[in-house]
Amino acid sequence: MQPFTYSKAATSDDVIAALTGEGVQLIAGGTTLFDLMKLGIEQPRRIVDVSGIGGLDEVTLGPNELVFGALASMTDVASSPALQENYPVLAESLLKAASQQLRNMATVGGNLLQRTRCNYFRNGAMYACNKRNPGSGCAALGGVDRGHALLGGSEACIAVYPGDWAVALTALNASVDTQSPRGLRSIPLADLYRLPGQTPDRDTELAADEMILRIRVPAASYGRASTYHKIRDRESYAFALVSAAVMLDLDGDRVRAAHIALGGVATRPWRAPQAEALLTGQTLTPARALDAGRAAFEGATAGHHNAFKIELGARAVADALMIAQQRSTGQ
Amino acid sequence: MTTHTFPDRARVDALDKVRGATQYAADVAVDRMTHAMTVPSEIVKGRLVSVDVQAARAIPGVLRVLTYQDFQDVAEAVLGAVGPYSFRTYHAMLSDRLIYRGEPIALVVAETLEIAIEAAALVTATYAPDAFSPNIDAEGTEVFVPEGSISFGDFDQAFDSAAVTIEAEYNHAAQHQNPMELISTTADFRGGHLYIHEGSQSSGAIKFGVALSLGLDPERVHVMSPTVGGGFGQKNSMQQQTVLVARAAMLIGRPVKLVLPRGQIFHMATYRPVSRHRIRLGLDAAGKIVAASYDGQQQNSRAETFRGAFSETAARIYAIANYRSSEQLIRTDTQSPGFMRAPFEHPASFAFESAIDELAHAAGLDPVALRLANQAETDPVTGLPFTSRHLVECLTEGARRFGWDDRSPAIGSMQDADGLLIGYGVGVGCYKAATSPVIARLRVSADGRSRISLSGHEMGQGMRNVIVAALVARLDIDPQQLEVIIGEPDGAPQHVTAGSWGTASVVPAVEAVADEWRRKLDDLRDGRSVAGNVHQVLFRLKRPYIDAEVQVLAPGQPVAVMDRLRQSLPSAVGPQYPEFVGLSFSAHFVEVRVEPSTRRIRVSRVVSVIDCGTVMSPRTAESQVYGGVIWGIAAALREISEQDPRYGGVLNNDLADYVVPVNADIGAIDVSFVNKPDPLLNAAGVKGLGEVAMVGVAAAIANAVHHATGKRIRSLPIRIEDVL
Ligand SMILES: Cc1cc2nc3c(=O)[nH]c(=O)nc-3n(C[C@H](O)[C@H](O)[C@H](O)COP(=O)(O)OP(=O)(O)OC[C@H]3O[C@@H](n4cnc5c(N)ncnc54)[C@H](O)[C@@H]3O)c2cc1C
Ligand code: SF4
Repeated sequence: MQPFTYSKAATSDDVIAALTGEGVQLIAGGTTLFDLMKLGIEQPRRIVDVSGIGGLDEVTLGPNELVFGALASMTDVASSPALQENYPVLAESLLKAASQQLRNMATVGGNLLQRTRCNYFRNGAMYACNKRNPGSGCAALGGVDRGHALLGGSEACIAVYPGDWAVALTALNASVDTQSPRGLRSIPLADLYRLPGQTPDRDTELAADEMILRIRVPAASYGRASTYHKIRDRESYAFALVSAAVMLDLDGDRVRAAHIALGGVATRPWRAPQAEALLTGQTLTPARALDAGRAAFEGATAGHHNAFKIELGARAVADALMIAQQRSTGQ
Repeated sequence: MTTHTFPDRARVDALDKVRGATQYAADVAVDRMTHAMTVPSEIVKGRLVSVDVQAARAIPGVLRVLTYQDFQDVAEAVLGAVGPYSFRTYHAMLSDRLIYRGEPIALVVAETLEIAIEAAALVTATYAPDAFSPNIDAEGTEVFVPEGSISFGDFDQAFDSAAVTIEAEYNHAAQHQNPMELISTTADFRGGHLYIHEGSQSSGAIKFGVALSLGLDPERVHVMSPTVGGGFGQKNSMQQQTVLVARAAMLIGRPVKLVLPRGQIFHMATYRPVSRHRIRLGLDAAGKIVAASYDGQQQNSRAETFRGAFSETAARIYAIANYRSSEQLIRTDTQSPGFMRAPFEHPASFAFESAIDELAHAAGLDPVALRLANQAETDPVTGLPFTSRHLVECLTEGARRFGWDDRSPAIGSMQDADGLLIGYGVGVGCYKAATSPVIARLRVSADGRSRISLSGHEMGQGMRNVIVAALVARLDIDPQQLEVIIGEPDGAPQHVTAGSWGTASVVPAVEAVADEWRRKLDDLRDGRSVAGNVHQVLFRLKRPYIDAEVQVLAPGQPVAVMDRLRQSLPSAVGPQYPEFVGLSFSAHFVEVRVEPSTRRIRVSRVVSVIDCGTVMSPRTAESQVYGGVIWGIAAALREISEQDPRYGGVLNNDLADYVVPVNADIGAIDVSFVNKPDPLLNAAGVKGLGEVAMVGVAAAIANAVHHATGKRIRSLPIRIEDVL
């Protein structure tokens, strides 16, 4: 462990002022950052604690927009009865993540920036890893890749984006408001996460001196017809083998619009437009749901140990669609 | 014969444990204590050319960086031996030789843990790597064939003439015990004496091992292991770090504490090795199993001869007249495996009980009926009688409690209201009823205090409970002022507490020392016994205290074995005694539910019936069985130590990625006991329980999965991709 200095910020302006120079990191709940520091992946010299900033933990579920302050805890957001009732996909994506203890500490802003669980990335500098040590290669290629990406990978990196919340947010066209010395901006989630390409060391488009203030989600009258369906190696406290975030705008049995995103199988939260298109204007049946699931995995590239996720993922999407449909009719 | 089940009582340490007040070894704080951290090797096999410790030394607060050069004079203590088969003889950092990824190459000692961690990360090394064989399928492994495989009758002839035969190969993955308590050692060298605090199932092995390794008089090595936060076989020998830490403490003249991070435990500790089981069974037209062969392979390191004694139990369940087995160790370049709960019996029962299910299926027989029709009456291996055997009752009572009769035999023929496929499966197991000699010392004082010291370790299984219960049932003493000293060789010589022999060995010793103490008291009164509180009796007699000591042997053991116990050498015996064979038995009935689409498997219900002789302590006994069943579920459906053969080592070396089950994975578990005293093994009628509880569970699950899905999965763990 490398020594670092610690300071606590009172306002977001303080944070931005402090985020200058090399080796500065802000810290919210710390559940990702401390873990990565212990593994030697993150080695900040200065840490700026944002957890004391007032007002950034507020959550408002308005008629046009849902706004989640970046510092709201996963537990607080997940246990909101209104969210559970009207947007189960969002509440479930949080509830099915990590453990109660972690959710109590973790913030919904910090959650977006968790890093891959790739074992080679985490296991020390002795493994070739372009994400950890640019240019060193990728040990996961040809290795134990059961947890690696089938979608969005490159020859430089096939690491999965591990989180759940961002997958649900991606399905719902969310964006983040940020602040930096260059001012305020809003970034759609679809643009926040980068494909690895040749530079897998950079996970997101966020600048080093930029802070997420809040997350915005457009409201949907049909939010109830949604679910976050997560398949994992155990029933709790596990990252997704594959997950499907689904929300349906239904007119009876007919699909007006479908929102589908995948987790656990791609290098970033993965929207599935082919699957959505296949359902638009169609009657939702179990067979069509499975077709949509298959379409979501078109173009998937399997490694040695993860090919099963193409079929598993298709079925998970199909099940999620049927759950969402059931919720819409209130059965 | 006295037979008794003690009244249900709360664990003596329950309150402390829930308040976090229990002190485990790593909680010990000693004056002027320093902190150590190991530096793991980055290659699998080869030679350490040089270690650069400059940068680490330069960090303020670093006291010393030890490398193999500080251990040149250390004797390799061959202590982890069971008979001729060693499992923990290799100790890292004694030379420049490296034999597996992750073994320590340096030990940093610093003023604080943080400094030790920081400095350890700065130690670099150059290596001369050699080619290596990371697993049993790799090139360059060595095959070692241990002696003494079990065979009787004429397998070939019986198999060839059988009416129904099956032949299959089963695989078990490597798995690591992950007790909550991390491995740690705190060593303090003061006034020519070495004091060691370490969570261990074998504090005596540490005492004599460290003394031998460092050339100390064992009388000057004091080991304390009063409470262990889970052992499961991981802590049943002197571990690799103990000598390193002890030497460091002697060199710097201050106490040193090392707590290994979880990730390093996956590389420093022993574990359940990969094993492969090829089984053939033959059934005659009358439904008798007439032939069985069992060819077992088990992974090992290059350094050890730890064997996979699968047939020791597999050959003893059924009355199979013709049995042949072979055994191989496949030596690989990994850290040394060792004993992990039901080390041979669990993988063997997965393989053999799966094979029995395949045979029943092939013959169109009910799996419970087939088992009942083939029970051994006497021990098939030796011809000796069993001390007691109630497996039939386990099966019939289990079937009744479970509702086995509701099973519709056709594959995939049962579904619940939500469309989940239901499967029923059964598996049985046995485990040796072993006994260790015990020395017990008791002092009861007039002032109300008592102290009992004896051989045994408390690993959370409830040994203290049993000791207190047995003693207060025998002597009217004040339990509030009773001190129980176990896991401490200074109190009494220590056996390795493993192999489910704890209770069966300790209870007779407690009863014997209580009786001896009573005899000494009565002697003072010319042999006249008096009822009532014995502290008051002493007080009236004006005797401050009376001491008593007994030695209790296992049935048929020569007194000479006490010399082995005094040096903490393996001294337990079982299942084979001179005149009989002692085994505990279990039957497990499992219901799984399998999702039709994504095929998630859930174990919704388990019914377990156990024959462990007398149930001494109902609460802790039940809890042992829950733990065993849950671990069976874990072994069958969850746990695997993942290796990348290009690199060796264990990749998923934390509790997020090494998947142990969580509460949400566990359904209903119904535990019951036959609870009939064993008439021959000991006065209390006790047989072992801790390990038999797990034996048979994994096969019952695999058999249930087959019943639900038609998929016969012969490799553990069964994961979603296997049933998709
Ligand atoms: C064992 C384990 C299991 C887990 N399982 C799951 C799971 O199943 N599913 C899942 O989705 N997640 C899981 N997680 C991840 C967990 O959800 C995240 O660690 C958590 O949400 C991060 O939030 P935090 O507030 O603690 O972030 P921190 O650790 O404080 O910060 C994380 C990163 O984000 C940056 N950051 C934090 N807040 C901001 C901000 N407002 N603006 C800009 N940058 C910021 C920090 O600088 C840091 O780089 C698991 C974590 C662990 C340790
Ligand atoms: S997949 Fe990415 S994170 Fe994993 S080893 Fe390769 S480059 Fe590193």
